[in-house]
Amino acid sequence: MSERLDVLILDDEPIVGKRLKPALAKIGCEVEIFVNSNEALDRINEKEFDIVVTDIRMENIDGLQVLEHVVKKSGRTKVIMLTGYAMMAVAREAMEKGAFDFIAKPFKPDDLRKIIAKAAKALGSPIDFNASDAGND
Amino acid sequence: MENGKQKELRTLEGHYDRIESIEVARKALLDRKRMSMRFLMYLCFSLVFLIALGTAVILIITNSRVEKKLRFLEITNDLTVEISQARRFEKNFFLYGTNLNDALENIYHAKNILDQNRSELKKILGKDEHERIISSIISNINHYEILIDRLIKTEPSQMVSPKFHSTKKEIEAELRKYGREMIAFAQDLMKKERESLRRILSLSRNLHIYSLIFLLIFLMFVAYLFGSRLLSHINRFTTYAQRIASGNFTPITPTRRYRDEFTDLALAINQMTQELEEHEATIVQSHKMRAVGTLTAGVAHELNNPLNNITITAHMLLEDYDTMNKDEHIDMINDVINETDRSKKIISNLLDFARESSSQVESLGLEKLLRDTVDLASNQLKLSGIKISFQTTGNLPRIHGDGQQLQQVFLNLILNAVDASSKGKKIQILLVPADEPNYVAVKVIDTGKGIPEHIIGSIFDPFFTTKGKGKGTGLGLSVSQGIVGKHGGRISVSSREGAGAIFTVILPITTIPDKIMHQQVLL
Amino acid sequence: MSIIIIASDSYKTGREISEKVAEAAGYACMDRELLKSVSEKYNAPEGKLIRALEKPPSFMGLTSKLRNLYLAYIQEVTLSRLLEDNVVCHGLAAHLYILGVSHALKVRILSDPERLISEMTAQENVARKKAINLIKKRKALRKRWSIACFNMDENEPSGYDLVISLSQIEPDEAVKTVVDTVGYRKFKPMTYSIKCLKDKELAGRVRAVLMKNFSDVKVQANGSTVIVETRALKRDKQKKTEAIKKLAGEIKDVGIVEVHVFKDIFRQAVESDR
Ligand SMILES: Nc1ncnc2c1ncn2[C@@H]1O[C@H](COP(=O)(O)OP(=O)(O)O)[C@@H](O)[C@H]1O
Ligand SMILES: [Mg+2]
Repeated sequence: MSERLDVLILDDEPIVGKRLKPALAKIGCEVEIFVNSNEALDRINEKEFDIVVTDIRMENIDGLQVLEHVVKKSGRTKVIMLTGYAMMAVAREAMEKGAFDFIAKPFKPDDLRKIIAKAAKALGSPIDFNASDAGND
Repeated sequence: MENGKQKELRTLEGHYDRIESIEVARKALLDRKRMSMRFLMYLCFSLVFLIALGTAVILIITNSRVEKKLRFLEITNDLTVEISQARRFEKNFFLYGTNLNDALENIYHAKNILDQNRSELKKILGKDEHERIISSIISNINHYEILIDRLIKTEPSQMVSPKFHSTKKEIEAELRKYGREMIAFAQDLMKKERESLRRILSLSRNLHIYSLIFLLIFLMFVAYLFGSRLLSHINRFTTYAQRIASGNFTPITPTRRYRDEFTDLALAINQMTQELEEHEATIVQSHKMRAVGTLTAGVAHELNNPLNNITITAHMLLEDYDTMNKDEHIDMINDVINETDRSKKIISNLLDFARESSSQVESLGLEKLLRDTVDLASNQLKLSGIKISFQTTGNLPRIHGDGQQLQQVFLNLILNAVDASSKGKKIQILLVPADEPNYVAVKVIDTGKGIPEHIIGSIFDPFFTTKGKGKGTGLGLSVSQGIVGKHGGRISVSSREGAGAIFTVILPITTIPDKIMHQQVLL
Repeated sequence: MSIIIIASDSYKTGREISEKVAEAAGYACMDRELLKSVSEKYNAPEGKLIRALEKPPSFMGLTSKLRNLYLAYIQEVTLSRLLEDNVVCHGLAAHLYILGVSHALKVRILSDPERLISEMTAQENVARKKAINLIKKRKALRKRWSIACFNMDENEPSGYDLVISLSQIEPDEAVKTVVDTVGYRKFKPMTYSIKCLKDKELAGRVRAVLMKNFSDVKVQANGSTVIVETRALKRDKQKKTEAIKKLAGEIKDVGIVEVHVFKDIFRQAVESDR
């Protein structure tokens, strides 16, 4: 395993961050969690993350705005969109705006880990992840 | 689909009361003696015919009587002529000593007339009268004849004797007496008959006039009877039609003692209203199911969040079970439980609304009803990125009504407002006392695209929609108007194109619950 | 990387453009050649498969039951091939059953009308006017077919991402447009869209199995959960549910099978009348 990946998780559902943080930590991610998009944006302005995982439907600033902001700020950051309101139009919009991937809720932690691994590979710092034995890391 | 059918059936169940009342009305309508207009018409025509027939019969009878009298007059006239002739000869004989044989001939003729027409006279005069009159005439004639005969026999020998002169005088006096009597009798008879003929003729004339007058009055009466009856029926049915048009489907009940063709019409209308109502119920229900369909999209999406929380938590629990302590286990399990509850809440609201319940009138607090409705629509609102706020002056009296149906009304208005608003707009719901006393008002205010002036008059029409195919049904407002109308309230709208729309529903508060309850049976 | 689905008002035009697009984009090209393998796999005559793809149900033609079965077979094989990305798909009605998959670019190619007419006159050996009429008829026929089979009008432009009419645009320009468009990021596959396609593929496999026995099933899949909708009389409900669960349960990747049986109101109505 090379250097750790900096991951930001933004979802107004607190459980998402709470549970995904340990899940991603296991595959070598340094995870910061946010439930409020404003705070998350502030943090993104401060720090360049490798990966941003964001929900789409949120109060005030939604995930697509976060995506735009991240893409503008740092081209190399991979943004992964989560949403319970998955629809083709939104998916295409997110991709067009530069999302790395798009996943519909409900998903399993492994589904996300697979995407993170893919993103890490794209970032040039592949992580050692094998979905089937992630739990035994 | 199956559900739809089942619901439809159950809606019908909900209308059993109404069907029953229609059945009762039907029984009452049929449970009368039938006196159809057709029957009455036949009756009247038959009466007119009978009257005409009667008049005709009477006329025929008088005619034959007149004929008889005329014949009688003819006979008596002949008789009188013969007798007068005889008397003239008699007179000549006494004055100039002319032949008497001619007089005898005339007498003979007169007797002949009486003889020939005996049976006829008998018929005309009747037996008794005939006996009396004819026998007296005949006896007069006989006497007269004998006297004449005597004169003729005595003539040649005793012509010059003075004794003869005196006998002649005697005979002459007697002859005169009989002759006069004969004439008087015949003339009397004639006069009597003429009098009676005149009476009969005037009677027949009067009969004509009276029967005409009577017929005229009778026909006027019949015309009036039919006319007023028809008119009253038509008026009655006009009011029924207006009543039905205004949404009052109370069955028509009997108003008259007898049933007739209009009873059949009333039955048909009762049947029609029943069917109308069933259709209306189906439309209300199908529109509700459409609203449910719209809401389901929002719910399905909203449900994904708790489901996701459950999925991740359960998976992590499975993954890290061994490395975690008991507190962490409990925390995770609690999360799962809470999220499950949350899922349940998300759908239960919708299920409550979707559930088919036969319409139930109850005392309702509009505040809770509106909050529930807002909750119900909240997922949809989230999906569209539209905010909603609910405000009330509080402490408003309760109303009576069918909660589910009213919820459907407010949901329709909210969903319309959502459709009209773009992302980021706000919808405001107000519950306030209405300007009219004893009413409360619910206002659904949006700042969406508004309603153009030229269509504002049509938006309550069934099937009027400006939304694309598959999106709008055009039934929302018309169904809502129907529901509110049945609750004794009204929906109104004010809007400016581009600025938004305000829909106001006013509903009567229950001061006299019983009365309104009663009224609501129609729901 | 993506899928390009090409539908045209003429098989020939569609095929031509598809091949060119495949070449230009470096994709594989899927066409009615695939029907051979469908025919082998399901033992269905190829001619009838083509008929099912072309003709609306009619009195003389295939019964709608058989047609739906054949379409289910075609759908199954097509979907399984589409899972391998980078493919141009044409002539297999994919534009009608691949819905909501964001990395599938759907293109409608309208042939040059003049060419269509001359093709028709040559093919049917008729006058120009007659040929125009025939083309009109064929269009109406296609509409009927697509509505009957997939409840969608394939002539409706809103069903496509791109509609190109070859009356003014040259075929090569059209090919370039298609290839450029598919290069947009929005047509890149992602976890979500791949899942959508996989769900469809699984549903297709289940449907192909179930349709053999039950002609009126509707199948949806979500992950490994399969939802089957069907109709039955009340008394058959239990039996039918079990049969479907057993059949579907044996299929690879299928986890939970949910069966929703709707009351067969029509049959019920018919039977209750007796
Ligand atoms: N809040 C609103 N703002 C603008 N237009 C409205 C609003 N509510 C209703 N309308 C208009 O009234 C029409 C009829 O509404 P409705 O009877 O609910 O049918 P539908 O919503 O199915 O079209 C709508 O198509 C729309 O044009
Ligand atoms: Mg509406």
